Amino acid sequence: MIKINGLSKSYGKNEVLKNIHLEFETGKVYGIVGENGAGKTTLFRCMAGLESYDGEIVSEVNPLENHLGLLLTDPFIFSKITGKEYIRLLCNARGKTNIDIESRNIFDLPLGQYASTYSTGMKKKLAITAILLQENDYFIFDEPFNGVDIQSNIILIEIILKLKALHKIVLISSHIFSTLSDTCDEIHLLRKGEQIKSVQRPEFQTLEQEMKSFLIGDRIEKLELK
Amino acid sequence: MKDYFYLQYIRTERKLREAGINPYLAYLLGAMAFVGLSEYIFYQSDYAEYLVLLTCLSLLLNLSERNRIDFLQSTFGKKRKTVIRLVENLALSIPFIAILIFKNAYIECAILIGLTCLSAVLSFQTNFNHSTPTPFSRNPFEFTVGFRKTFLIFPIAYALAMIAIIVDNLGLGIFSMLLLFLTSLTYYLKPEDEYYVWVFSDSPKSFLLKKIRVATKSISMLTFPLALLLLIYFPGEFHLILLFFLIGILFLWAIILAKYSTYPDEINILEGILIAICIYFPPMLLLTIPYLYSKSINKLKLILNDKN
Repeated sequence: MIKINGLSKSYGKNEVLKNIHLEFETGKVYGIVGENGAGKTTLFRCMAGLESYDGEIVSEVNPLENHLGLLLTDPFIFSKITGKEYIRLLCNARGKTNIDIESRNIFDLPLGQYASTYSTGMKKKLAITAILLQENDYFIFDEPFNGVDIQSNIILIEIILKLKALHKIVLISSHIFSTLSDTCDEIHLLRKGEQIKSVQRPEFQTLEQEMKSFLIGDRIEKLELK
Repeated sequence: MKDYFYLQYIRTERKLREAGINPYLAYLLGAMAFVGLSEYIFYQSDYAEYLVLLTCLSLLLNLSERNRIDFLQSTFGKKRKTVIRLVENLALSIPFIAILIFKNAYIECAILIGLTCLSAVLSFQTNFNHSTPTPFSRNPFEFTVGFRKTFLIFPIAYALAMIAIIVDNLGLGIFSMLLLFLTSLTYYLKPEDEYYVWVFSDSPKSFLLKKIRVATKSISMLTFPLALLLLIYFPGEFHLILLFFLIGILFLWAIILAKYSTYPDEINILEGILIAICIYFPPMLLLTIPYLYSKSINKLKLILNDKN
């Protein structure tokens, strides 16, 4: 379980998260949706302890950040480090040594090559593999499907469902609604740092329609396409 | 090109002002400190000219960083890039060259001028795309990456050590060992992305100890064969060889701690001055290391969990 009570975050006078209350239960997958700048990534960074904040984040397993697999939108990869060394670095950091990396290379990445030469999608797959091999209890995937090929997206969806079956807590942000409806038990909508609504599985379609009509509005007409 | 140098000047002034130092005062104090410390080390040490050479070389090495060179080449073109690098390198080396001339160390001065010009056209940081095997893959990061970027330095250092043995010049031998230490220090100069600190499930204390342990083990692997060679061929000077080996290790610790004492920012001027004082007066390391350690712990508390 992870409980967020009254979480607020400001950068100077700009309040990017406003009094967020959320609860995440074991064995469930949660989607966090919202436009760019809605506060999704800031929420994740606060949960990971990468940002200071007002309010409280409580978890069953402590400290939360030491049991959290964090996939950032754009994983930072050093130059001159191979894929295998990247995974080893992240596993060593969590005290997981002697892991057979080669046999668990499910995305068939060229692990002997420098990771900086990988494509965007391959870098993301490498980062996902690394945080999975860390054997975490909690997972935050910030835009995991972006830039990843369709075959790997299918694998990724199955991985998320497997994590759910293993009683992990998984949080995902994605701009591709179908990936969320395939995996999530509940979706939380953020808008300009505010928690707008939380929606259960049966209402996902209604949420998607609502989001579409809110986002699109009369924008397309304004273009006056001819 | 003029704009580029003007921007460098502006950047330096900004850094000094941000550190709360008046730039003109800093230039004056810097020049006085440079002359004073140089006099001191020539008075104190028989190897002062090598130390001057080494200090200047370390600064030149920093200027030949691959991304920086790529930026210069893509912005100014190959010819103007070379001119810029030559001007920068000479501007950096002139005070050191002046000291060496003043102290009648003409051979070292000629070597320094040669290296200054050479490093303007060459990069010691290799850029091959195949993955170079390293002995540090079990604990990847600083030494794995650094070794690959600078591996040409290692055969050069070992060749210098062999020459030192053949011509019976311990000073050159110690210089070659310090060259290895110096190269490895550069692996820790730039702060890494905060994710690579955050990801550790360690307290600040155990994180730092882990970093120091891995660095000590790695640098020992690189320098031990060279130190052993020197010990075999200069057994009468074993205390001196071991002393420089120990100083090299302590400097590595100091640089690691300096990096995390200002993390996630780059090492700032105050820490830079502290390290510079230690170069000329190594016993200061015994005060500098604990000071930087406690500063690093405070900085890392903001990222790493202190409860476990």
